[in-house]
Amino acid sequence: MIVGGHGDVNPNSSWLNGKGFWLSYGLGVLLLHLILLCLPFISTAVSWTLTNCIHNLFMLIFLHIVKGAPFEPLDQGKTRSLTHWEQIDYGKRFTVTRKFLTVVPVILFVLTSFYTKYDTTHFIVNIIALVAVLLPKLPHFHRVWLFDSNDHSY
Amino acid sequence: MVVQWDLYEMYLALLQAPLYHLIIEGLLMVWVAWLLLRKPKIRKPKLTEKEQEELISEWQPEPLVPDTPEDHPALDPFVVEGKVGKYVCVNGRDCLNLATHNYLGLVEDKTMEDSAVECIKKYGVGSCGPRGFYGTVDVHLNLETRLAQFMELEEALIYSYGFSTIASAIPAYAKRGDVIFADEGVNFAVQKGLEASRSDVRFFKHNDMKDLERLLEAQRSKELKNPKNGKNVRKFLVIEGVYMNSGDICPLPEIVELKSKYKVRLFVDESISFGTLGRHGKGITEYYGIPTDHIDLIMGSLEYAIPSVGGFCVGTSYVVDHQRLSGLGYCFSASLPPMLAAAAITAIDSMEKNPDMFLDLNNVCRQLHSALSSLHQLRLGGHKDAPVKHLRLAKSTGCNNHDGQLLRQIANESMKRGLAVIVASYLDQSERFLPQPSLRLAANRLLTENDLDKVIKILEDSCTAILS
Repeated sequence: MIVGGHGDVNPNSSWLNGKGFWLSYGLGVLLLHLILLCLPFISTAVSWTLTNCIHNLFMLIFLHIVKGAPFEPLDQGKTRSLTHWEQIDYGKRFTVTRKFLTVVPVILFVLTSFYTKYDTTHFIVNIIALVAVLLPKLPHFHRVWLFDSNDHSY
Repeated sequence: MVVQWDLYEMYLALLQAPLYHLIIEGLLMVWVAWLLLRKPKIRKPKLTEKEQEELISEWQPEPLVPDTPEDHPALDPFVVEGKVGKYVCVNGRDCLNLATHNYLGLVEDKTMEDSAVECIKKYGVGSCGPRGFYGTVDVHLNLETRLAQFMELEEALIYSYGFSTIASAIPAYAKRGDVIFADEGVNFAVQKGLEASRSDVRFFKHNDMKDLERLLEAQRSKELKNPKNGKNVRKFLVIEGVYMNSGDICPLPEIVELKSKYKVRLFVDESISFGTLGRHGKGITEYYGIPTDHIDLIMGSLEYAIPSVGGFCVGTSYVVDHQRLSGLGYCFSASLPPMLAAAAITAIDSMEKNPDMFLDLNNVCRQLHSALSSLHQLRLGGHKDAPVKHLRLAKSTGCNNHDGQLLRQIANESMKRGLAVIVASYLDQSERFLPQPSLRLAANRLLTENDLDKVIKILEDSCTAILS
């Protein structure tokens, strides 16, 4: 499907700025956490660590690993080599959406640490998950892809 | 075992939290605070006041009307009166017309005009919108069906302008990161399409299959080095059936062979070859007896053999239908005025009813070719079956500008003697590979042997008058 128009050639750059995105995002994470809490044989600490890890894993995959857009934007394939994070606001730095998406995993980490009673094992797992999603968000990693064998000479 | 957790317990845990943890959380908080205070920014070059002043003082406004040399061709325009058919009235003088692309001589055909007039009475002049909104009327759909039937392919799609057909069809498929192999001699519309695709364009020497194979082989070995990435690269091959800029015919059998060997998508611009080559005018595929389904997309024009305006693409529905949402010239342009579509349908009718016209045209092309090759001062380029012929100076002065001027003088002289021919004009700055200046002659089915003799005589005389 071809999308875009009204001067916005790639809706992937702007739909995260939409009304109610923060609320929906928060509710989604809460739902995930509640589901994990409901599972038997899982302690509260484990369910918090799981929430954090699953959230960060999804974030890593959809924001920092998968490239391109799920639709056909009007940019002659400019986004084919860009991750979603790099597409947000056409690569402008420190925008509100970017700040939000950076702060969410940090808050989640702090909460998880609190609910896991600062246990060392949980801490190690969670800090790895946190670093995995924060590093690619740093401006220095813009258009730098680690462990990526693709040739991006185009 | 489920342990009871309550907030007090956790508060106690916080008090006993290990030091490294508190340090890390503290650092995170500081970093978040720093982050939240940053302002959104895009990299912008900052100029000092002095630099700004300098830039402003450096700027020289271009004149609204630039200085034009005295002998600029635009200062001495040709005024054409009446219909541009086999004969054209230029500057009040009737000339035999070999300047416009009216290969089948259908411009003179009264039935085209009548069908257009009838269509105006029904639909009015314009179509009032793009195809996707209010611009589609039954005539458009009929024309599409007729074109698809004529070319024996699944689906056709019409554009409102011949140039934009090719220039939109190519970028609808080829995108950044794709590779396009194209002939050096492709016309300007194809060049614009290649540019708009943002793809990696690799030109091979005009009609040189060895050079094309070398490029394809290079691409293949590059892909084999990195198979994961190579698999995502789409490859296209863009050629013309009959080259507008040289009058050559492409070696389609070899190209189709290379296409299947190297798995590239083959796009053929049949603007000139459609309605002129082949026993039934079906173009380059019929000329070589190659089934049309060997070609992924055929792009054509309704402005040359068919005396109308617009262009079309034919192919399988799977391929062509993609353009209905992705061909920018199709989506965002008002559709073809119904009267022009009606005239095009009538032209296809008469092409189907009277296939002998293609034989006639072919005879004229060959006769014209052999006649023109007898000229001494002009060198003929192009294929004998092609309806477009290019005449270049046999003794080039070595300077394109000078050659062009001489040829323009020859053309003017011929026009005074009753033969309308023109120098093929190019945008010198924008052409990828600027062709040598040439007189471009278009064959016309209605030319008789007497007419051809007249053409040769006038050209000989004008050359002698100008060159000696």
